[in-house]
Amino acid sequence: MREGKSVKFNIQQQQQSGHISQFKFAKLLDPEASWDKDQLGDVLHWIRQVVALVCGLLWGAVPFIGAIWIVVFLVLSSGIIYGYYSIILKIDEEDFGGHGALLQDGLFASLTLFLLVWILIYSLAHF
Amino acid sequence: MASILSSFKYSDSLSVVGISICTAFLCEGISWILIYRTSSYKSLRSTIDKASKKLEIMKTVDNKGGSNKKSKTKKIDRVETSLKESSRDLSLAKIKSGAVVALVLFVVFGLLNSLFDGTAVAKLPFAPTGFVQKMSHRGLPGNDPTDCSMAFLYFLCSISIRTNLQKFLGFSPPRGAPGTGLFPMPDPKIN
Repeated sequence: MREGKSVKFNIQQQQQSGHISQFKFAKLLDPEASWDKDQLGDVLHWIRQVVALVCGLLWGAVPFIGAIWIVVFLVLSSGIIYGYYSIILKIDEEDFGGHGALLQDGLFASLTLFLLVWILIYSLAHF
Repeated sequence: MASILSSFKYSDSLSVVGISICTAFLCEGISWILIYRTSSYKSLRSTIDKASKKLEIMKTVDNKGGSNKKSKTKKIDRVETSLKESSRDLSLAKIKSGAVVALVLFVVFGLLNSLFDGTAVAKLPFAPTGFVQKMSHRGLPGNDPTDCSMAFLYFLCSISIRTNLQKFLGFSPPRGAPGTGLFPMPDPKIN
């Protein structure tokens, strides 16, 4: 009897976590969703890190050489972040401290991550 | 596995990254033991989060206008002062673990320095200038600006890995705390 209950509880937990992850993913693309400053900041931070990882892998693999590609990365990642919160989420930046506050979330960490991955892939793949 | 790794000319870079990852986990573990699990830290953190949210709401209402602007400004000042005091208390609480973490980072840096001093551990895909080159070419022979020293790679590893680890574990400083600006360093202090 107890085992049956615990199995049922586990299944309910799994269904809930599946629903929760579906819910979270849906919120990331929902312009009607309401955002807390911290939640939005965290999402923007992690998007920047993913962009840094992808760009670092790509820049290192091709390879792209020259400091200009650092500027390209900064413009690209900031453009993606800006496009995400203004076009997809349709957020009023004044409610979250302005464009500066939103664009700076995770910027420095993403720059160092990008440089690290770019340097590593370039060094390991081409020498 | 070892023969595959040694076939890379710059396989030392992987050692630096691996040691940095281990150091990051070690430092966060020390910080968790000494600060994050204590009730005083949790209550300070909660106080700062609540004060930040309250301040945001008060400023939004103030911007929209209304009566009794003087008393609202006074209330905002009171909450801001309370927020600054809580942030200061939080910084003070982190000094003990900050010193231990700084010592660990210093020892690890010394270890890496003894292992890789005078060796280019990676190749830069760009030629750095100014103070960046001073760090990236530290202790290296020759004039090739694209040779990367351990110090620069370790710096990049420290910032990126530790910042993201703290964020992932939920240990990063609260957004309302003053001093979390354009260049937030991993918290607590680093070398």
